[in-house]
Amino acid sequence: MVQGTQINRFNLTTLRDFLLRQGFNVVLVVVVVFYALTAPRFFTVANFISLLHAAAPMMVIASGLALVVMTGKLDISVGSTAFLTTSVGTILMVRNGVDPITTLVILLAIGALIGAVNGLIIVVLKISPLIATLGTMIIVRGIGLEITKSTTISLPEEVRRLGNASIGPIFVDILIALAIMVIIHLVHTRTSFGRWLIALGNDQDTAARLGIRVNTVSFMSFVLSGLLATIGGVLTLVQVGAASPSIGSGLEFTAVSVIVIGGISLFGGEGSILPGALRGVLILEIIRNGLNFLGADPYAYRFVNGAIIFIAMYADSLRARLPVTTRTFEAPDTPKSG
Amino acid sequence: MGNPYLEMRGVSKRFPGVQALTSVSFEAYAGEAVALIGANGAGKSTLMNVLGGNLQSDEGEILIGGQAVSINSPLAATANGIAFVHQEMAMLPTMTVAENIHISSFPTRAGIIDRKAMEASTAEVLTRLGCHFTPDTRIQVLSTGDRQMVEIARALLSKPSIIIFDEPTSSLTSREKARLFDVIRTLKTEGVTIIYITHFLDEIFNICERATVLRGGSTVGGGLLSELTTADIVHMMIGDVGLDTRSAKHSTQQREVVLKVTGLNRRGVIKDISFSLHKGEVLGLWGLLGSGRTEVARAIIGLDPIDDGQIEINTGSGLHPIRPREAQRWIGMVTEDRRNEGLLLPMSVKQNMSIANLRGLLSRWKLIDNRRETELATHFVNRLNIIISSLGQPVKTLSGGNQQKVVVGRWLELNPPIFIMDEPTRGLDVGAKAEIRRIIFELAEGGAAVLVISSEIEEMMALGERYLVMNRGQIVNELPGTSTKNELMGAAAGAAQME
Repeated sequence: MVQGTQINRFNLTTLRDFLLRQGFNVVLVVVVVFYALTAPRFFTVANFISLLHAAAPMMVIASGLALVVMTGKLDISVGSTAFLTTSVGTILMVRNGVDPITTLVILLAIGALIGAVNGLIIVVLKISPLIATLGTMIIVRGIGLEITKSTTISLPEEVRRLGNASIGPIFVDILIALAIMVIIHLVHTRTSFGRWLIALGNDQDTAARLGIRVNTVSFMSFVLSGLLATIGGVLTLVQVGAASPSIGSGLEFTAVSVIVIGGISLFGGEGSILPGALRGVLILEIIRNGLNFLGADPYAYRFVNGAIIFIAMYADSLRARLPVTTRTFEAPDTPKSG
Repeated sequence: MGNPYLEMRGVSKRFPGVQALTSVSFEAYAGEAVALIGANGAGKSTLMNVLGGNLQSDEGEILIGGQAVSINSPLAATANGIAFVHQEMAMLPTMTVAENIHISSFPTRAGIIDRKAMEASTAEVLTRLGCHFTPDTRIQVLSTGDRQMVEIARALLSKPSIIIFDEPTSSLTSREKARLFDVIRTLKTEGVTIIYITHFLDEIFNICERATVLRGGSTVGGGLLSELTTADIVHMMIGDVGLDTRSAKHSTQQREVVLKVTGLNRRGVIKDISFSLHKGEVLGLWGLLGSGRTEVARAIIGLDPIDDGQIEINTGSGLHPIRPREAQRWIGMVTEDRRNEGLLLPMSVKQNMSIANLRGLLSRWKLIDNRRETELATHFVNRLNIIISSLGQPVKTLSGGNQQKVVVGRWLELNPPIFIMDEPTRGLDVGAKAEIRRIIFELAEGGAAVLVISSEIEEMMALGERYLVMNRGQIVNELPGTSTKNELMGAAAGAAQME
């Protein structure tokens, strides 16, 4: 009887642990199966390729943001940075006739610069990352709207064609996005810089006492985030084929949702690019894609997205509160004689 | 014995307003452990921070192996074979053991971390320390003792010839302590010089050959421990100050009961706890580590849920049952873990002392009365003899003893009828311990009822008028204040054998 309840309790905690650790993998499978059964054209190779195509910019942006979040900070200027990229890029190519390669270099420099500004504000002025990047988010979007006068400007035809460039059936931007994710994954898991990011996320004071140059590492994470937001913006620009005032609005929040759903803790110190961030991107994109197939109200996606964010945040805070069982590793007792 | 391996000569260091070190000399021999002893604020940390390269001395020189060296940064200290095992562990819980000990310089190959080399060197150090966890274990799952081993492993990685241990045992169980001592003995046989800082004098005699005692920033004595007694060392540390003990132990028969606990249960933790606490009494809750002493205190004060049982408090008109959550209005709790449970470290002394009593400080306009806040804080700072530069000083800059007094002062402002003190002097030096004990006596003389938990039997015996002995979550015995040390130990240990 007593044993029975114990076994019962054991199962409940393991179920809870399982859901906390694997919950979003379960969600991913459930969502895919659900759509596969209800939406006839969902479960096709063509749809998955178009789904990845649509998700490519977010893969890149979320990878950059993930690096910042792993240090326990936040960068909500990524949406505006991506938007500024599309505006400046279009103006340079359409109005000033700059060639695409030079444009790309200039855009990357701008992205890194925005990241550097964020980093400096946070590291030197010691302003909370949320507030600092809220400021740059508003300013950067303002600059973008100013230079395009809030109008939609189409790209030259030869650049627009790049948006559908593909190798075999697979769009080039999918390959670019995946390659970038792999590189960032390696930076995160296999370089000193990557480990220092996690160290900062554990506890910045501790990291500093261990001799890590905390400010440099924070600063670099913001530069990378800005840079990758720009690359995400370039991919978006080429896909859309035009600069439009609505590009990238609310994108920072989608990116944060991706991070949270991907199991990267907003408290810092936990999470992965692969499979974490990629899984986050896929879950959100699949839900959106599937709702389209079902002919759902376009605004329904916002409700679903919001609900998922709440669940993911709750799971994150539960995980953070979950008592970690500590063990003592000691020499086994010497067997007593007799 | 030849020349000392490490010699510090005439080291002086001045901070704004304080002469922290005055021409201190210190020496240590290879293969020996030197205890560096002194009350809080005696200058131990300053001296070791000079040696560790965290501070620059104003005067003096350091010789290692007879050669004068300049140590102007922690990096230079490492280069000179000096490693520092800090009291406050620097652990990154979500990372592995190998990552934690290599964090400041990873072995890399073309910019990519060489995981194999990293884990191999980690495994080597762990074997040397007799640890049974693997390099890829996450710090999260390790016990405090094992984390301490990781901290030491990090120090050993640079193959140092001098290792400074700063209060390494303050959070270890006795078994973990024994392991640490084994490691130190091994290091000594390998010819490493050990500098050992601690408040626990028994440990010094256990593990060290030599001692240097600091007081007020100067060397006041030392020598071979084989030629010294505990009393000698205590005398050097605190000068001519006697230790307080409570001479008269009163009978508790006639005094009124202020706290009555009946049948307190928390499944698997504490069982059927019943006792009464009287006005003006110091009641000792005694038992071995893990016997449930702290859990009883936490349950009474509502920090942990209880399954059943009743708590009654005399709120002025006889005993009334109360919910544990309400108990904090009548009970002041002082714990060993002042940093996490008690104090708001960045806030000032004044704010820390008034935080529990803000309602009592409201003026007619329902705003906090600044003048009264200052008055009360000043009053208790003086009464408790808290050493601070001003009431606005952040609490985190105070020594452990003074921090503990701030916690006590906070409760005194509220003036509750009952105090629970859970290891109130843990981690404090001899002088600060004596002061906290004196304060406890004063509280009881003033009519408060005090429940004291302590792991140190001498402290228990100095304080208690009556003892409850706990074992495995139960009160197994009650002993009078006149009990001897052997009786107390016997009750706790004997009860352990009965199970």
